[in-house]
Amino acid sequence: MSAGGDPLDDPQWEWVRATARAPVPTPAGLIERVLRSVHGVRGTLLSRPLDIRQDGGLLRIGEGAVVLLARRLGAELGAEIGGLHVSAVALDTDGTGGTGAGNRAVLDVVVTVEYRGGADAAAELLRSRLQAALAAQLGTTALAVNVHIADVYES
Amino acid sequence: MSASDPTLLARSLRGEAGAFDHLVRRHTPRMYRVALRITGTAAEAEDVVQEAWISAWRGLPEFRGDSAVSTWLYRVVTNAALAYVRRRRPTVSLDAALTPGSGDGSPLIGAGVFADFRADPEGQVLRTEQVEAVLWAIAGLDVSQRVPLVLRELEGLSYEEVAEVLEVSVPALRSRLHRARVALLARLKERS
Repeated sequence: MSAGGDPLDDPQWEWVRATARAPVPTPAGLIERVLRSVHGVRGTLLSRPLDIRQDGGLLRIGEGAVVLLARRLGAELGAEIGGLHVSAVALDTDGTGGTGAGNRAVLDVVVTVEYRGGADAAAELLRSRLQAALAAQLGTTALAVNVHIADVYES
Repeated sequence: MSASDPTLLARSLRGEAGAFDHLVRRHTPRMYRVALRITGTAAEAEDVVQEAWISAWRGLPEFRGDSAVSTWLYRVVTNAALAYVRRRRPTVSLDAALTPGSGDGSPLIGAGVFADFRADPEGQVLRTEQVEAVLWAIAGLDVSQRVPLVLRELEGLSYEEVAEVLEVSVPALRSRLHRARVALLARLKERS
């Protein structure tokens, strides 16, 4: 390109146009993982707020708030552990019937793992740290945490 | 015939959950493409798309319909990507993710993140190398140049649309884009 010329007239700009035409495949399962996250924040799985038993009484908290908190903590812990990316977070129950006091909510966390070996160990580390972090925030052990590996990719 | 974006958005605002799901299905591929081109890695792009859709859901009541739904979603995903890139640890470099001249080509293409032209025997090797070079060059630009470049040159948005997404004036955008194009070409020539 000559000094002061329009970059769009440079023959090498054709490379940029070729890049624009190059298709970008959507990763398998991404849309389903996004929907799961949105449903988690929307709170479609549980109709009532969560009642979490604490030392000083009962904490009533919305499902969306729990999911957002878990998502933020999970992202931070995943970065700290390294190579773990939280794809989706959703709440479910363990089947004991409803979400009122005494019932147990289960937090499902879906992650993608950067391949460095030991994906299972990394996921377990995230599970235990996230459960502890949630207990520290919510003052309870009422939330069980499951971590599922959706994908392992090469960095 | 499937419902239009404004119709789906209006239904979402009325509490019809399935309508928002439809928007997610329709726009996620485009949002992922933008996120990938800004962040440079598949995992980060997925994080960005997740954050963007959660933001979109939470911001739904504030959407006034002043812009097209697609423009609004471009803004949401761009903001999410910018926030992600800015809080990225300084030790993680896009240059490292897209190392030039690594022999086997860009890790992104090798990992199937971008479509691989190598299966096509009709001289596609050259095009693959060109695409790799452009992705590497874009990844090395400052985000203030990278984002408008991605939206205008790769996504094909009009100047007016990009200006609306980035909330800047068209003259300011044109000026920024010119500098970005010059910088991009300089990096391409540096590599070739």
